[in-house]
Amino acid sequence: MRRYPRWPIHFALIVTSFAMLVPFYWVFKTSISGENIFNYPPSIIPRDPHLFYYVDVWYAIPFARYFLNSVVVSVMTIVANIVFNAMAGYALTRRFRGKTFILLLFLSCMMVPFQATIIPAYLITGKLGLLDSYLGLALPQFSTIICIFVFKASFDAIPASLIDAAKVDGLSEWRIIWTIMMPLAKSAMATNVILSFIWSWNNFLWPLIMTRTPEMQTLPLGLSRFLSYQEDTTGALYAFCIMVLAPGILLFLLAQKEFIQGLTSGATKG
Amino acid sequence: MTADDDDLERPRWKRWLLNRFVLTPLILLAIALAWDAYAAMNADGRIVGRVVDARGNPVEGAEVSLWIFNFTTFNEDKHVRSGPDGVFTITGNPSHHVQLMAQKPGLGASPRIPIRLYFRGQNVTLKNPLVLPGA
Amino acid sequence: MATPDVAAAAGRRAPFVARRSTRQAVLIWCFLAPSLLVFLLYRILPLVWNVVLSFEAWSPLKPAVFIGLDNYDEILSDEVFWQALWNTLYLVASAPVAIAIALALALLVDSDIRGRNVYRTLIFLSYPLMTVAVAIIWRWMFDERVGLFNYVARSLHLVDAPIPFLNSFTWALPSVIVANIWQMLGFYMIILLTGLQNIPGNLYEAAEIDGANAFRRFLRITLPLLRPSIFLCFVIGMLNSVTSFDLVYVMTGGGPGRATEILVTYIYKLGFVQTRFDYAAAVTVVFFVLLLVIAWAANRLSGGNAGAVEAD
Repeated sequence: MRRYPRWPIHFALIVTSFAMLVPFYWVFKTSISGENIFNYPPSIIPRDPHLFYYVDVWYAIPFARYFLNSVVVSVMTIVANIVFNAMAGYALTRRFRGKTFILLLFLSCMMVPFQATIIPAYLITGKLGLLDSYLGLALPQFSTIICIFVFKASFDAIPASLIDAAKVDGLSEWRIIWTIMMPLAKSAMATNVILSFIWSWNNFLWPLIMTRTPEMQTLPLGLSRFLSYQEDTTGALYAFCIMVLAPGILLFLLAQKEFIQGLTSGATKG
Repeated sequence: MTADDDDLERPRWKRWLLNRFVLTPLILLAIALAWDAYAAMNADGRIVGRVVDARGNPVEGAEVSLWIFNFTTFNEDKHVRSGPDGVFTITGNPSHHVQLMAQKPGLGASPRIPIRLYFRGQNVTLKNPLVLPGA
Repeated sequence: MATPDVAAAAGRRAPFVARRSTRQAVLIWCFLAPSLLVFLLYRILPLVWNVVLSFEAWSPLKPAVFIGLDNYDEILSDEVFWQALWNTLYLVASAPVAIAIALALALLVDSDIRGRNVYRTLIFLSYPLMTVAVAIIWRWMFDERVGLFNYVARSLHLVDAPIPFLNSFTWALPSVIVANIWQMLGFYMIILLTGLQNIPGNLYEAAEIDGANAFRRFLRITLPLLRPSIFLCFVIGMLNSVTSFDLVYVMTGGGPGRATEILVTYIYKLGFVQTRFDYAAAVTVVFFVLLLVIAWAANRLSGGNAGAVEAD
């Protein structure tokens, strides 16, 4: 397997990476020079780059407010996810009556995508009086099945002797989870944090449906509204894109390993 | 998660602080706070510039107008006159995107120069003077 | 063993004399409760409510009226629905294309070259991005006047006049598909890569010794052992295509006409623009059934039993 030349592989991969990165570069270029909005032919290197479109975006829309909303909802989602999923994952490692039923229930819930539930979810949230509130925005995302199974797999790997020793010492189940099992399930926790953050941060349809006032809108919604107000007549839209993409890219670059680990472990565990 | 995170010989607070997940937001926060402080200190809305004629001589008494950007158009807002050495000072600019034009009867009007700032009311001193076409 | 008094007391289930296993069971159910509540509220209840609502005529301020299959009758004669269904199936059919490309990439990245992690990162970078931003980027790449594709096509003299990608009935949906493939490619590649790395190397060596060439090794060893990963990619890809509301809504809004309308955007418009909750619920039920059918078909096509889903 080491007999064939390497350079065709590198060539193919470089071409592919280039193709994957060109949209980024193009958008970044427009956000700092505003050239390709109206003039044709477009240029490859930006002429007169400047950062003023970012200033425009900052003052044209309540970016700080949208950012804050997204952050609050994401933090709520992450915290609730860790607590609820860890509890459910732990419960699934024990044997109890009805476990198969619960497992089947969870697996079948995985098959129900969010888009198939939007209308009743909206009605339910309305009935709960949570429309246009942080809790209402975050509530449907408080628990995800993939992350429950990630925790379960991680807890399964903890030797039973540790748990038995803790029980002999008189620790309650609740304390067992938080003092013994969670420190040993660091990677499951990291996976959960990253996955729930990304899903909550990028969520567009749910805030679109249930926010009623501009103050409660999240970043994706703000971006889409900016597009519909200003069309694409200004480089500010692309500056907004970059500002919105930056946290996601930054988090991904920081947490690459955990991210990929999380996706593959969550995925292959069904 | 990485080797230095698990290096138990370093004191615990060091491990927690230098973790890349803590360090990055802290650095970003520090940059944001520093920028906010800088902006707060330099936000008097003062624009200082010079008016010269086509030969480069300073023009006294030219009327300089400020237009403020408002969503899609510019609205005329302030007027000042240039002093003896052609220098003018506009104060109280509330916006981040303005235009300036100087004119004097007999010397014509300079083109409208757009000025874009990094934050609202940034104090700036223009590098290039406003040039009146006449001499 | 227990006197009748104690037994009666236990039967009344005072907490401090409850049996330990009951206490444990209660605790376990308490642990499961929050997650169960969330799923009940936002997955199961909505599903049931959708079904119930689909058989009723209901406008929000009036009481619901049972009308039987009328909503479904309307679906059968609704042109927009059939167009949306066709578009959705078209989108789903594009997932195998993406998976095939991702398989090729995974094979390339898995080979013994330096910098594989860099390539892996660069290709995967598009997945965690906000789909709204991706849609805006691609919307502009396909732009008629200043988009990159038109620029390249005209510079290479492939076409005389710019192609209005997002405004033409033939090019709009393929454009959306291209954007979707761009975003999902990295994800499929990662899953296939993990699957590839789980194949023990000695299998290949043994086959090589037996005289199998690279292609036969691929066909006989790699593909069968990758089946669980490929199945997973199918399922996720199908779920993603069928539910790509963000991409379609921001990139084309369902237009031009209904050329890129998919079932989810149609449901959204029915429910939240036209406020026809009852009819939208019926379309949702059909949508969900379609989802199940496609999942079952994917399962059968990849050889039964859901790949490597471990039952325990």
